[in-house]
Amino acid sequence: MKINLRVWLKIPDAEAATVKNTLRRRMGYEAVLADLGKERLWSIEVDDDVRDPMDLARRLARELVNENKESYIATVDTIEFEEGYVPVKVGLHIEDGEAVSALNRLRNRLGFDMVRGVERSVVWKLALKSERPEKAAEEIAERLLINPHKDFYEIMT
Amino acid sequence: MKIAVVQFPGTNCEHETLVAARSAGLSGEIFRWNRPAEELSDFDGYIIPGGFSYQDRLRAGAIASKEPVMEALREEAELGKPIIGICNGFQILVESGLLPGLDGVNVALAQNVMVSKGEIVRRGFYCAWTTLRHESPPKRCSGSFLLEKGDLIRMPLAHAEGNLVTADERLMDRLNEENQVVFRYCSEQGEVDDEFPVNINGSLENIAGICNPEGNVLGMMPHPERSSFAFQLPPTDARKCVGDMGAAGPGRRVFESMKRYIEVRR
Amino acid sequence: MKIIGLNDQEVEAALRSAGLGLSVSEARSIAEVLGRDPTVPELFNYDTMWSEHCSYKSSRATLNEFLHTTGPNVVQGPEEDAGIVAIDDEWCVVIAHESHNHPSQILPNEGAATGIGGIVRDVNCMGAKVVATADPLRFGDPYGEDKNHVRWVAEGVVDGIWQYGNALGVPIIAGDVVFDDSFDTNCLVNVVAIGVVKRGEIIKSRAPAGAGEKGYDVIVIGKPTDSSGFGGVTFASEELREEDEEANRGAIQIPDPFLKNVLFKANEALFQLTRQEGITIGFKDLGGGGFTCASSEMGASAGYGMDLDLDKLHKASENLPPEVVACAETQERFMLICPPELTPRVLEIYNEDWDLPNVYEGARASVVGKVTTNGRYITRYRGKVTCDVSIEHLTKGIRYAREERPRKTSLSEPVITAPDDLTDALLKVLASPNVSSREHIYRYYDTEVQGNSVIRPGEADAGLIAPVRGEKFGIALSVDANPFYGRISPYWAGATAVAEAMRNVAAIGAYPATLTDCLNFGNPEKPEAFWEFRECVKGLADAAKALWLKGYEDTPVPIVSGNVSFYNESPDGTVDPSPIIACVGLIDDVRDAVTMNLKKAGDSIYLIGPRFDELGGSEYYRTVYGVTGKNVPEVRFELERNMIYAVIDSIARKLVVSTHDISNGGLGATAAEMALAGKGDLGMELALDSAGSDLSADRLVFSESSGFLLECKEEAEEELEKLLKGYGLDIMCLGKVAESPELVMTHKGKTVLRMDLETAKKAWTGGLAEAMR
Repeated sequence: MKINLRVWLKIPDAEAATVKNTLRRRMGYEAVLADLGKERLWSIEVDDDVRDPMDLARRLARELVNENKESYIATVDTIEFEEGYVPVKVGLHIEDGEAVSALNRLRNRLGFDMVRGVERSVVWKLALKSERPEKAAEEIAERLLINPHKDFYEIMT
Repeated sequence: MKIAVVQFPGTNCEHETLVAARSAGLSGEIFRWNRPAEELSDFDGYIIPGGFSYQDRLRAGAIASKEPVMEALREEAELGKPIIGICNGFQILVESGLLPGLDGVNVALAQNVMVSKGEIVRRGFYCAWTTLRHESPPKRCSGSFLLEKGDLIRMPLAHAEGNLVTADERLMDRLNEENQVVFRYCSEQGEVDDEFPVNINGSLENIAGICNPEGNVLGMMPHPERSSFAFQLPPTDARKCVGDMGAAGPGRRVFESMKRYIEVRR
Repeated sequence: MKIIGLNDQEVEAALRSAGLGLSVSEARSIAEVLGRDPTVPELFNYDTMWSEHCSYKSSRATLNEFLHTTGPNVVQGPEEDAGIVAIDDEWCVVIAHESHNHPSQILPNEGAATGIGGIVRDVNCMGAKVVATADPLRFGDPYGEDKNHVRWVAEGVVDGIWQYGNALGVPIIAGDVVFDDSFDTNCLVNVVAIGVVKRGEIIKSRAPAGAGEKGYDVIVIGKPTDSSGFGGVTFASEELREEDEEANRGAIQIPDPFLKNVLFKANEALFQLTRQEGITIGFKDLGGGGFTCASSEMGASAGYGMDLDLDKLHKASENLPPEVVACAETQERFMLICPPELTPRVLEIYNEDWDLPNVYEGARASVVGKVTTNGRYITRYRGKVTCDVSIEHLTKGIRYAREERPRKTSLSEPVITAPDDLTDALLKVLASPNVSSREHIYRYYDTEVQGNSVIRPGEADAGLIAPVRGEKFGIALSVDANPFYGRISPYWAGATAVAEAMRNVAAIGAYPATLTDCLNFGNPEKPEAFWEFRECVKGLADAAKALWLKGYEDTPVPIVSGNVSFYNESPDGTVDPSPIIACVGLIDDVRDAVTMNLKKAGDSIYLIGPRFDELGGSEYYRTVYGVTGKNVPEVRFELERNMIYAVIDSIARKLVVSTHDISNGGLGATAAEMALAGKGDLGMELALDSAGSDLSADRLVFSESSGFLLECKEEAEEELEKLLKGYGLDIMCLGKVAESPELVMTHKGKTVLRMDLETAKKAWTGGLAEAMR
């Protein structure tokens, strides 16, 4: 069973603003990129016999989400995005040290014995004015959002 | 011989880098990122100093690599002028494809992972003194022009993302064959050990610095400007505080090399 | 808001439902002075300016009564954002010291980062280049009931500090960390920043002379104002209750080191312009109390009024009510007062040259109003006057006389039977989270940026930088306070903190030039907490007075900056009294400074400072026996002064090659650290019989009475002994640096301790990492 936590900032996201600015001002996407948002995504593999996965999701979120500045949505096994943008998931294909230590912390320090694995990624939400938005999203991912020597990307729709 | 120390928003080592370059006999100035990029051609060489350009947003160096000033620097590099990227400067050169300079982006500088006996013992930002072994032959690279192969130089590093990785399996052979590996992390005695703390950030083959095929562009994670004066050395180093306040530390050789490289090129 | 004509319960209800912290009597006195009901924005302005944080309403009288803030080297006392003392005829050092405790407990990362962000602004706005920071930290028990939360706080705080400080480009060169269960629900995050400025280039945080008459512009620079931190100063002035955590989170500010980095460079361009043009400006950071606090203080301190239009202030949203615009604590903002003819060039520097609007969305410099001569503090918003009050009445604040009553404690000395072999005890002490190597933390800090670092964390008792290239002088920095002593005796905790901070800079050869105090206590409305506060202040003032400024008899070391943080308590209890002291030391030539690592086999080791039966609050009692004890170390003022100046002189005369002061863990820990700080290849052989006391061996090894260990330069023994005698100090040569990597101590013909350095290193380097895992 996989618990997904989609996490986004309630305060202005300076990183998203910078990425958007770079794409529009420096990389020629002024006419194509209408808007850009960012979410963090935690995908947490837990034992299948967990009785109340939504309650577990809430408890995990207490550890992984900073509720002063972030909000989240939890879903179990599925993950769905809204209309109006192309979600591009970017994660590491090399070992993710932060995910490893999050797993260790959850299991060893905080007693979440039912947690089997932790994956961490970023979802870039690209609102594109383009005939072929997915194609444009791929191009943006390859030109800016990833360094292929450590990152992978995946168009989520 | 006039060099430009290129400053991005978030750069934070430009002043001491300029001071160190001057101590080696170079003259120069700090070049703000939003100045007209064509003014860069007035300079004989370039240093991209350390810091957190654009706060390392997205990935260290990724945003700065798209600034117009980098396009201008690419043109200067093609003319054979020396460019040295230190720490964040190295990250910017990697993201812009100038290093290792084999068409496109060939490596990434990922988050530091300190590994000892198969275990991750620490991750992320780390600040400490380290020893570098010079790996390429003399005169191979602008920033190590005066160093012999096997020379050891001590300097500090301070970064969170300096762990060189690549998905290209043949890349390391190529870099080694072409002598593009300029510096490796080693022990004080010069032994290269792939375990932390000698391999201080988990970098592939202990790589601390690489150059492009032509040798004029060098990128390195450690900070030679923080080791350019004897007073900056750690207390266990017998050379510390010997001589006057201007007395050289080992890192100055990098800037002296750059100066010599410019002289020879003329 | 209606006040006049309502009864006390009605006023109370109205204030609370508006979210104001003002008391009923305070609100009534405001209405009385105004002669009408105050507006809501007016009440928020008063609430801010009369908060404990901005007005020091409980502490001011005590501070004025005891602290010495003037001296022959003082250029600027505590009345502005930072204090300033002279280095030489040309250069000055600027220092500020604050707490950011409450926000860090709730949101460790942002709270601590904002602490660094605020303190560097305080120093920068004086016209100075910020050259170093230090971070005294206090966390709860990492092995106690709240261990998970304690570690979450500790990790978040350290991350917040490095992520901000490293990106900004200011080296962290000193600090300390103590774990103690009294901080389980109230961590302490203090921050110190120092800068350098030429004497003739200091910028004041007030409207310049003539500003009112000539109608100078008031300009706000930086991040667009949002609602973050609204209610922050009131929050810092109340106790933390768990059910309020969620509500208090809204009071946290969001820091941005990237914008700050660019702002500092633009500020430098502004300072250069004003120097070139010979124009005097007023410049102040927007910190606690936000726009209201900065603007009213800048006007009032020069005797002027202010007329400000909140519509002209750049904001993140147009939907903010006027009291939020005025009192929010949005980070990365400054206020400038300058003659109107300079304004276009100022706007060009920030909005074009340094391109703030593209660096951070909505950031810029905006002209928001004028300085006036009418003594009124006026703000307008959407065409209406939202505040019109006497600027003096608003900023003068109020004073409270608080009651004090000694806290009753039932502490006693334990009866213990010490083992014959003290090796295990010393290993335990070295592994304690409070004694072990701080390396786990300081490797996260960029201690090298700016290239000025001469002595770094872990190399000596204080950090040292050579902050001006081409000059030889150095600035040393150390911080200190021991909460365990505070628990036993607040007075001696205050005195010891001053003495140790001074010993720390003396140990590298610098003379103590100034002190700052950040006083962290519980609720001052409780007489016991207020008593602890007063005792600490008395203790630290007595020590500063008795230890003298170098070269001046009977002249106190001045305290030029500081901060009081009350309400560090929760229903679970109050923090141990924590008068955290920072000491700035100066040395003429950084190349003369010494570090603590042993230098050469065969060198003689001298003890300065006789051992007393003072193990109350010691690491030995707590770690090995689990008790606090009662005999807290006292400061023998004349002896302490002689020790400090003897050490400074012996370093200046190049008679010693390494030094380390004796503090937590006693002489045993001091000796071990000297051996471990270097390559770990040199040991020591010490005979405790020469320690000038008939105490038992364990007390000699672990007593935390103040003192030093010195490694004498080869063949300088005679001269060193003469120097020490000249200061009236006993000669106690304990032994020699040994070639073998081993620490050996003998007493009355028996070996009482034999510790190989390899084992010691494991214990010493692992303790802190384990506690923070």
